[in-house]
Amino acid sequence: MPVDQLQEIAEMIGRLESAEKITALFNSVLAQGVPASEIAEKAVRPGMAIVGKKYEAGEYFLAELLYAGSLVTDLLKILEPAMKSQQLPSKGVIVLGTVRGDIHDIGKNIFKTLAEGSGFEVHDLGVDVDPNSFAEETAKSSPAIVALSALLTTSLAEMKNTVQTLASRVLENDRNIILGGNAVTKAFADEIGAHAALDAVEGVELCKRWSK
Amino acid sequence: MSTPRERFNATIHFRKSEPLPWAENIYDETVIEWVKQGLPIDQITSIEWEMGRGGTQLINWPALKGFKPHNQFGCQNFFGCIAPVDIGPIPRFKQQPLNVTERYAEFLTETGARARRSKTGEYAWYNMPMFVEFPVKDRVSWQAYRVRLNPSDPRRYPKDWDADSYMKTFEEYQDGITMLRFNGFYGFGAELMGIPTFNIMFYKDPELIHDMIEYWEYYIIETIRNAVEALKDRIDVIYWWEDMADRHGPCISPKLYREFLLPHYKRVTGFLVKNKIDRIMMDSDGNINPILDLIVEAGITGTWPLEVNAGMNAITVRQKYGDKLFLAGNLDKVELMKGEGAMKSEVESKVPLLKEMGGYIPGADHLIPVEMTLAKFREYADYIKKFL
Repeated sequence: MPVDQLQEIAEMIGRLESAEKITALFNSVLAQGVPASEIAEKAVRPGMAIVGKKYEAGEYFLAELLYAGSLVTDLLKILEPAMKSQQLPSKGVIVLGTVRGDIHDIGKNIFKTLAEGSGFEVHDLGVDVDPNSFAEETAKSSPAIVALSALLTTSLAEMKNTVQTLASRVLENDRNIILGGNAVTKAFADEIGAHAALDAVEGVELCKRWSK
Repeated sequence: MSTPRERFNATIHFRKSEPLPWAENIYDETVIEWVKQGLPIDQITSIEWEMGRGGTQLINWPALKGFKPHNQFGCQNFFGCIAPVDIGPIPRFKQQPLNVTERYAEFLTETGARARRSKTGEYAWYNMPMFVEFPVKDRVSWQAYRVRLNPSDPRRYPKDWDADSYMKTFEEYQDGITMLRFNGFYGFGAELMGIPTFNIMFYKDPELIHDMIEYWEYYIIETIRNAVEALKDRIDVIYWWEDMADRHGPCISPKLYREFLLPHYKRVTGFLVKNKIDRIMMDSDGNINPILDLIVEAGITGTWPLEVNAGMNAITVRQKYGDKLFLAGNLDKVELMKGEGAMKSEVESKVPLLKEMGGYIPGADHLIPVEMTLAKFREYADYIKKFL
């Protein structure tokens, strides 16, 4: 039964089984004609959710998160051709980037992988992104969420600039700004009128809550 | 009156020290900022004679060796006298620019990584370069890299290496502690493969990780063997660099740590203890609480910096582990930078109690950042001394 198999794939992702094993079952489900959207919805996203829960519970750590992220990225690539002809339900658009002056992207990329695995469409602007570029992309793609990343404490001032630019130029009240990265604290986010995520999983969970 | 080295050693061996030593690591760029803010440069720069610029001339010539700002404030430099063992790749990769644009400079590092540095930031190096490519990617590149990690290469020790004279130097040094440094098993892998790839490989290619870690154990023991067997407990502290955690917790789970790292840790710490070196300090940022039991089991006997922002608390670690771990750092640099009440409260809430509990070297929970002004650091220095 495909439904059982989809659940099995989700659990295999959650158990961090080998890519070969998961891909074999994944391809078999795809060959049975199960729509890509259903596979993404009922296997990939729940699998990533299991990993996220285990991470939050302190059972999984960065290595587990990164491996799960690489599994899910590879699985979504398999679905890509089918997804082109099917309308995959999106949880919403996230505009993402590391703020100007900061060129680090490990944390940003982990967040991106998890967000895509959870069904968001991520518009990644890269690193060293100036406030105007965030504003232009936000105006163009009307995202549900804008996510700013910074590793360095010296980048916090630039985060503040970016939030102010977005608030004054493009954002309406219902747009959410999320801050992530080692330099970010809850107190800083409160101070500049944004939300802090202390790690990528918390960030994606926040995005999921907002997208409901 | 005891010397700085005696005070430090007394403390990390859980003996009383009056006053308590206070140790800080300070970024060079922080010192440069402080010079701009009025720190007298002639009093903090170290100039020593050396033979004509690396041996190119047979004359004695004064050469700039770097900053020594600690005495200005009454603290010790964490790194006192360091055993001169080269654990890097030999031959070195030649550091060179690869691609330079208006905003970025990309270059090949001495470890063989490709790094990108922002040219527009206020601080050239404090705003850490971003590594964009690493020398080890898979089994083939690891085998190629291993050739440069030959422990028998004579270039690993200085040309003037002579055990007796180094023994004398290490015995007589009193300005701080003597130290031997190397990367731990996570730190070396992450440095050569990059954090994402190294972490993923624990699941994708566990045999590669086993091979890398096993080789590193052999390589480190054999590389440091001459220094360790000659200097023995003239080396006060082993500085074991890992940086294996973020705010959430360790980068690898306790399960992976036990399976992949623990046996190798034990063999290296066993080798050190056999040579009378039992103060082995792991440097890891982030929240290492979930693996502290394993770290102690592995033979690590001290840790720094106990990052507050990652949830580390020296008092609770001391309560749980007693004299199994000496502790250093844990004063929240963000609070220290604020000065006045915030700084005082941070110092007061930890230093007196931890002094009483023993085995604690006070200091900031990482290197002193560039945002810490000279005035705020002086204010902190004046205040902390009341509790030492």
